[in-house]
Amino acid sequence: MTTPTLAMRVLRAPRASFIGRPTFTVAVLVLAAMTLGAVFAPAIAPYPPDAPDFLAVNAPPSPAHWLGTDGLGRDLLSRLLYGARTALLGPLLVVIGSTAVGMLLGLLAGWRGGWIDAALGRVFDVLFAFPSLLLAIMAVALFGKGLVAPVIAMSIAYAPFVARLTRSLVKAERTRPYVAAYRVAGFGGAFIAFRSVLPNVTPIVGAQSTLNFGYVLAELAGLSFLGLGVQPPTPDWGAMINEAQAGIVGGHFLPAIVPAVAVVIAVVAVNIIGEELSDRIGGGAPA
Amino acid sequence: MSLLDIRNLTIDLADGRRLLHGISLGVAEGETVGLVGESGSGKSLTARAVLGLTPTGSRLDGSVMLDGHEVLGAAAREVRALRRHSAAMIFQDPRAGINPMRTLGDHLTETLRLCDGLPAADAEARALDLLAAVRLPRPADHLTQYPHEFSGGMLQRVMIAGALTSAPKLLVCDEPTTALDVTTQAEIMRVLVEQREGRGMGMLLITHDLALAASVCDRLVVMRAGRVEEEGSAMRVLVAPEADYTRRLVAATPTLAAGPAASAEPPEAPTASAPAGSGPGSSDAPSAAPAPALSVTGLSKTYRPRGRPPVIAVADASFELERGGALAVVGESGSGKSTLARMIVGLEPSDGGTLSIGGRDRAAGPRGRAERLERARSVQMVFQDPYLSLDPRVTAGRSIEEALRLHTRMPRAAARNRAVELLERVGLTAEHAAARPRTLSGGQRQRVAIARALAIEPEVLVMDEATSALDVSVQAQVLDLVAGLRRERGLTLLFISHDLAVVRRVCEQTLVMRRGEVVERGATAELLDAPRHPYTRLLLDSVPRPAAPADSVVAPR
Repeated sequence: MTTPTLAMRVLRAPRASFIGRPTFTVAVLVLAAMTLGAVFAPAIAPYPPDAPDFLAVNAPPSPAHWLGTDGLGRDLLSRLLYGARTALLGPLLVVIGSTAVGMLLGLLAGWRGGWIDAALGRVFDVLFAFPSLLLAIMAVALFGKGLVAPVIAMSIAYAPFVARLTRSLVKAERTRPYVAAYRVAGFGGAFIAFRSVLPNVTPIVGAQSTLNFGYVLAELAGLSFLGLGVQPPTPDWGAMINEAQAGIVGGHFLPAIVPAVAVVIAVVAVNIIGEELSDRIGGGAPA
Repeated sequence: MSLLDIRNLTIDLADGRRLLHGISLGVAEGETVGLVGESGSGKSLTARAVLGLTPTGSRLDGSVMLDGHEVLGAAAREVRALRRHSAAMIFQDPRAGINPMRTLGDHLTETLRLCDGLPAADAEARALDLLAAVRLPRPADHLTQYPHEFSGGMLQRVMIAGALTSAPKLLVCDEPTTALDVTTQAEIMRVLVEQREGRGMGMLLITHDLALAASVCDRLVVMRAGRVEEEGSAMRVLVAPEADYTRRLVAATPTLAAGPAASAEPPEAPTASAPAGSGPGSSDAPSAAPAPALSVTGLSKTYRPRGRPPVIAVADASFELERGGALAVVGESGSGKSTLARMIVGLEPSDGGTLSIGGRDRAAGPRGRAERLERARSVQMVFQDPYLSLDPRVTAGRSIEEALRLHTRMPRAAARNRAVELLERVGLTAEHAAARPRTLSGGQRQRVAIARALAIEPEVLVMDEATSALDVSVQAQVLDLVAGLRRERGLTLLFISHDLAVVRRVCEQTLVMRRGEVVERGATAELLDAPRHPYTRLLLDSVPRPAAPADSVVAPR
């Protein structure tokens, strides 16, 4: 028998295997630890993020500074913990923003069809043509440095991915008999679209959006590395790598490696989670 | 010597659930055995075990002897040899069983070339013979055609030809005609019977249709919940069933013959005023007297797919249905009956003609919320597949509540109580209100769908193949429920079905459609007993008749 809606596949997914895959579990734990570290940074961090220790400039790891210090003698562990706040918050906002915008536009295109669908399709095509990083840099050029402009720009840049997926799912969903049953019962289009179809496609779209988190994290870190994102002295992983450039020339790799490894670990962890979720739901392939 | 001998077969799933509890059955050479049961009875599982197709991780016990070889525990190589030379299987959905990317020639000659090492030319000649044997019209052309160019019935013949390439001694048919129309079913069964007789094959026919099984089988095995309930000669099982379950199954199976089942019809239903046997375009909807509940004049619908010739789905359909009446619309797939239903409930705009429900014109789509609600109160529909027509996230109770609150502005608590009342009316309990569709059985879901339709208190209820996805015993219950509701509420019913036997149980009036046209209309009993139109006669003749000898499934030409 056919599965009535895509969402059902999520509900039916066997619970046991959720814990079963060790990589997935590890990824969840890693991300949870990072999130907790970011949220409770003031309580956990051994030093304030911008407190210099001039007696230990570019120091190697030691009991006083577990991950060593950077060129200004600032504790790398503390900066890493505080840096996680912007490093994780930015992508989170982008994922939420792009999912919200993308789902609404995708629902509109898939539900209404016709010229709206065609017009939105062309708009998405144009947006696809711009690399998201380029869009973010353009936003910085227009609105100035910082986190706000790139986050908004990348929310827009990532929205078409979500919108396309949502559109195809909604198109499949709206031909299903339960939608016809709602219509016959006298329910209006808006009710059916928002109260019934949208919740039924949300799990799959959500799983796919998770995958975007990793890309955005890396790109925002890159932006900060270029000096266009988070501005010093605010700790941020990308900005930390940027500031460590001078040290690399002097043979001090640690200040650059520590945030770089953190970026890699976070991106890999998020991608594992996202892939696992979308595998479970069916890879987002419209049925 | 027995061709197939299953002894005490049990299958346990990896999680310990037991699916088959010791099945024993046998098929002798040249014998046809019907394996009958409702969904979940384990009949397909048993049949698949014959060919060594078992669920992954399952544990099997007992013995399956096929052509003198033990299947259970046999090495993959031995099982493969058995599949190549001893037994073949035909599946329910031929479209799923044939690779859509390859030509039928490939499909048919592959095994001959690879397993028997035949040269391509010989294999092709053999394939041509087989295609001719299953009565496909142009075997030579078919070899280069792709599956999508064929109808379901034709593909099923290809599937049969494919199964016969290995000249099997046993043919296992798993619901081979369930997805097909009655007339096509009759043709397919004729081909199967012919081939069986010509080759002296043994046949194991799995079906949920007791009448079909009885019409072609020598012996029947009735299964329920992984157990054999009864076994015996086909006639004996049907006429004098011994097991309680078989008795219920026989009683629930709708038959064409007028029997005790007819008592389910509401006695006071008005039928006399109906223009019996009137052709299309007869009624002009006189404004005198009470308006009919449903009046359709010259309703048509043509689909115009891009790049292909237009398809006339409904052509100039006209009929009336008076208040409290029940009209059946019968036809095969593609006859336009579902399109007609969808136009009546407003899911599909009509191209022309008038449609009035309760004396109000409903041909045009509703404008605005008030009109939309009014339209919904005029007619409600129960869909074919209850599994798909309920929102999977919404509990049974809430789906009824939502409909109530949309139409009556009832406060939430009152709506909840009313929803429970409605659920109880359709034979469910308050506990079902909290259940999501997927935890309900097919029959329960269809009851919920009926309750939801009733919540809106429509003037006309349309049931579009509403019982065809259900097991016979459940179907009987739902039909009884509908009959009860009609008696109680004077419900006006438009019942769309492909099943003539079901129609007799529910409706006083019947309308037969074929390729978008209404070909015959009349009182159900009359129409079934003395059909006037040749197509109606063909439909009736195609219905498998258990009481007659095997070859009666063949429709007279």
